[in-house]
Parts: sequence; C-alpha cells; structure tokens
Amino acid sequence: MSTAQWLLMLHVASAFCFVGGSVAAGILNGLALRAGRPSEAAALLRLIRRVLPLIFAGVAGTLVFGIWLWHEQGYSIGAAWIWVSLVLWAVANALGGLGGRLQEHARELAERLAAEGDAPSPELSAALRDPAGLWMSYGAGVATLAILVLMIWRPGS
Amino acid sequence: MTLLAASRPFWPLFVHVLGTMTLFGAVLAAFATALARLPRATFASLLVALPAWVVALGAGHWLEHDEGLGGASPTWLQLGRNVLEPGVLVLLLALAAAWWWRSSGKAVAARATAALSGIYLLLLTVAMLAMSGKWS
Repeated sequence: MSTAQWLLMLHVASAFCFVGGSVAAGILNGLALRAGRPSEAAALLRLIRRVLPLIFAGVAGTLVFGIWLWHEQGYSIGAAWIWVSLVLWAVANALGGLGGRLQEHARELAERLAAEGDAPSPELSAALRDPAGLWMSYGAGVATLAILVLMIWRPGS
Repeated sequence: MTLLAASRPFWPLFVHVLGTMTLFGAVLAAFATALARLPRATFASLLVALPAWVVALGAGHWLEHDEGLGGASPTWLQLGRNVLEPGVLVLLLALAAAWWWRSSGKAVAARATAALSGIYLLLLTVAMLAMSGKWS
C-alpha cells in the first residue's frame, strides 16, 4: 500500500469513529428520552460517556490524517472545499461539545433522581428535551453531514 | 480531510458511506447496551441497524453497477460484499438473541447478544478498512 492509501484508510477509519460514534451517541440519547425510569435514562446517558473516546479519536484522526493527505495528494492550499470542511469540522465540534454539556446536566439529574426513589420526573423529561441541547445536537449532525458531502463531492477539484 | 474517492458517482457513494456509518453506529450502540445489560435498548439499537444495512447494501449495488464492478473481485470488494451480504446473518442472529433476551431475561441470551454484536462490529471494521485502503 502506498502512503496515500494508508493515509486514506486511516482518514476514513477516523471518519467512521467520528460519525459512527456520533450515531451511537444519538441512538443512546434517543433511547434515554423514551426511558421510563431515571435509573434507565442515567444508564443510557452514562454509556454515551463510554463512546466519547471513540468520537474524540475520530475527531482528531480526521483532522490529522486529512491535513496530511491534503499535503500528500498535492491539493491547492486555496482549495475552498477543504477550508469549508475545516470550518464545518470546528462548528460540529463546538456544537457537539455544548450539547454534550447539557446532556451531562441531564445525566447528573437522572442519577440523583434514581438515588431518590427512581420515580419518573417531569424535571428530568424537560432536561432531556431541552430545545437548546437538541438543536445543538441537530446542528452538529447537519455540519457533519455537510462535511461528508464535501469530502465525496469535492467541488472545484 | 480529503476525498473518499476520485471520479466516482456522488449519490451512490454518499448513500453507501452514510448507510455503513449508520450501521456501524447502531451496532456499536447495541454492543455497548448489551455489555451494560440493557435488553430493551440493545434490541432497539439493532432494529435501527436493519434499515441502515438495507441502505448500505442497496447503495453498494448501485455503486457497483455505476462503476461497472459487477464482474470484478479484488480482495477489498470481495471482503466488503461478504461482510454486507452473508454477514447479515450475524446481525439477524444478534437481533434474534436480543429479542430472546428481552422476552426471557436469560443470561445466556445476554451473552449471545453481546458476542454476536461484537463479532458483527469487528466484521464491519475489517470491511471498512479493506474498502477504504483498497486491500489487494
């Protein structure tokens, strides 16, 4: 395998960790929204923390191997699709991080309610359905999808 | 960040990649919930994996057709086909084991679900590496 093939394989593997990990986190969050008891919601939200190292590895890998490939493949320094992808990458991470903080608050609340009798709570339901958190997560998802479109389409190259 | 492939049809490749990434994420969620002993969540995650598999397979065939790869069988393509086509049996067995676990609560069903989900996740990882690295 050539250097470019190795880099492409590692770049795509990182993208799978990033996007696949985000899909897994989204599924776990969606299941927590439908959980009957706080202990169940807490268990699902705790699992998201277990998936985070995979997402972080994917986030770092897409950037490092992507920039390396940019150099290796000899793409122009002014390639707009790459710069737009980098901006979207930063936006996706910022929104994902902010949304994650709100999720963390919901997890702490779920853990507390689970320890205090494990009864369904409108407060937990509201925290899990916080519109700001949901919009940030959707925004991160849309930005990630846009990066995937640009990586495959590569307009202008 | 860079290209996934040069001079390839956009839509089939985009849908195929998106389908496989969703499949990977859903199986990952199933594996994590199975290890955490959450039967309902494991079953639900595996249910998400099924339509993702259909999308990945359909777009894969669309891509093969558009690129004229129907008769070709390099290692990377053969590996991808094997994991996606006969490999779905592992996914279906995991789904059946998760259903059994959810309805019976038996520990053996929990272990079978976790093992099958883990094996399918490993198969998907190998196929993804082979296809992106174009193993020959």
